[in-house]
Amino acid sequence: MTAALVSLRSVSKTYRRQRQTIGALHDVSLEVECGEFVRLSGPSGSGKTTLLNLVAGLDRPDHGEIFVAGIDVARLSVSRASKYRAEQVGMVFQSYNLIPQLTALENVLLPMIALRRADQRRARELLDLVGLADRSAHNPAQLSGGEQQRVAIARALANDPALVLADEPTGNLDDQSAQRVMGVLTSAVRERGRTLLLVTHERGMRTAERSLELRGGVLLSASG
Amino acid sequence: MIWTKLTFGGFGRRLVEAIAAAIIIAATSAVVAASLMVVEGARNTLARAIRQDRPDIVQVKSRFNRALFETPRSGNLPPLTVPVYEPLIDPVGLQKAAADHQVVERQSLFRNVVTGNSFLNVYIFGVDPDAERQVSSFSLARGRFLRREDRAVTVLDQASARALGVDIGGSFPVRKADGTDLNLTVVGILDGVELRGAPPRSAETPSLTPDSTFVSSGAFVNMATSEEIFGRNSLTDAFVVASSVSEVRDLVAKLQETFRLEPGVFVTERFSQYQRKVGDFVLTFALFSVISIATVLFAGSFASSLLNDIYAGRRQQYATLIALGLSPTIAIAPAAAFGLAIGVTAVLVGGMAAAAFVPRPFAMPSLMADLGPTVPTMDWVVAGSMVAIAIAAVFVGLVPTVFRLVRQPIAMSLPEVNP
Repeated sequence: MTAALVSLRSVSKTYRRQRQTIGALHDVSLEVECGEFVRLSGPSGSGKTTLLNLVAGLDRPDHGEIFVAGIDVARLSVSRASKYRAEQVGMVFQSYNLIPQLTALENVLLPMIALRRADQRRARELLDLVGLADRSAHNPAQLSGGEQQRVAIARALANDPALVLADEPTGNLDDQSAQRVMGVLTSAVRERGRTLLLVTHERGMRTAERSLELRGGVLLSASG
Repeated sequence: MIWTKLTFGGFGRRLVEAIAAAIIIAATSAVVAASLMVVEGARNTLARAIRQDRPDIVQVKSRFNRALFETPRSGNLPPLTVPVYEPLIDPVGLQKAAADHQVVERQSLFRNVVTGNSFLNVYIFGVDPDAERQVSSFSLARGRFLRREDRAVTVLDQASARALGVDIGGSFPVRKADGTDLNLTVVGILDGVELRGAPPRSAETPSLTPDSTFVSSGAFVNMATSEEIFGRNSLTDAFVVASSVSEVRDLVAKLQETFRLEPGVFVTERFSQYQRKVGDFVLTFALFSVISIATVLFAGSFASSLLNDIYAGRRQQYATLIALGLSPTIAIAPAAAFGLAIGVTAVLVGGMAAAAFVPRPFAMPSLMADLGPTVPTMDWVVAGSMVAIAIAAVFVGLVPTVFRLVRQPIAMSLPEVNP
């Protein structure tokens, strides 16, 4: 039994939109252990991205506690949350979120710059790992969707984080590209023994060690 | 390279808005700089006027003697003494009226000096060496200036010294009131004299500025020597330096009361003229400040709005940088650097345009008649104000974006938020 890297206790989150209160998460409790690969699925609007954002410190819960690697994420200031992400978390977004005016290599270097240890050799190794060694000088606009997402994966691994959070990384890709991206992501994370929390609405993904399902902000099932 | 790209790259069509904002800031800077240059020029003119006018000084002078000097046509006639002003001012009464204010006494008289077969008209000024130098300026070419304890020594201007044929250490005779001669020894030669309240030039004398209608030359002696020559201690003219400008009105009233029964003594002040100049400056300042403020408000808000649009368009990028672990300060730094680059470049262009095209000297006849021509001046105050305005415009444009990034969850600024 390994120690829990991620721990959510009775986490709730609501949003107010045009005088309406929308419940995103209701009393969610969850533990993810070190090196675990957890798949979080559910229909659109079920609270998957909200949960990921809370774990990443990009948002704050209304109630409950979130601990990652012993850090009380819910109570971090904006700048401390940035430091936490730089040191502990790698993020892969559905829409890649690459900086368009930077090359693939420069995009991979960004998280390293946050920790003031930009290493071009390591960035090139990561691009090689995701099969894009020859595209390092290309801007995102010169890459396909699948290639952009692989650059995003290399960027997420730049600081060798303990936790990788992937928010529907294949949501914008065709099947062939999606398979390749998932292959790259899972193998890269597993090779390094890192923890992966993957949000997806695809039920067919079988590579996860544990699958969770969210519906209407409530964590319904947990299967190994 | 990454930071250059993050700061200046990837604007696309927003670059047009950035250029528009830069043009507006440049035009605003030009107008504001021109206005501030006029205000600064007026301020300099006022400062110069204060230095020259010395509103804190009140002049007390006797009636000017218009009698013609009779030039002796042969060496047998005795030298004549003609006053420049009549010596009507009682020094004790003046000192009493001046109370705690400083009195600068003067005996301004005129005498011809006969040496051998020649004679020379010379103005002789009895002055207090220390006090006089606070109101007049003397440029010493050689030797030293007068001292209070001196006896029978003089400081001459170059022109008079040359005409008398004397130099430092030399002497020349001056006939005293009792008919005997007093030899004055030259201890200093002046190459410049700016005598405050100099009397009108009434006779042909050697002069440092020959075209001037006022006396610009003479032999300066201390008051003790002057009293010995002329045999009296009454003054021809004097200055009273007020402790502060605000006390001038009361001082003038007191002096006028003291010399009320002496119709040959006049009290004049420059305080009223100074106040008119201050009034002119305030009007100039107000007018051009209103122009500056209105321009800054209208154009500045427009430029800020354009910058705000640019920053809002980049907010997702700044949020992404923060999401990747960069601190908010570092993530927003490219935005601030971009805005400052736009603002400072525009200010430089606007400032140079203003400096090149603003008319000089600049004068508004009715408004600044008393100030005279004002030379618009570009100095650190103007440059600093312009840079401050540009920084303010950039700051105002940046604030909403920074506020949203820092005060709201970063997740709200990332693309495709789907809770």
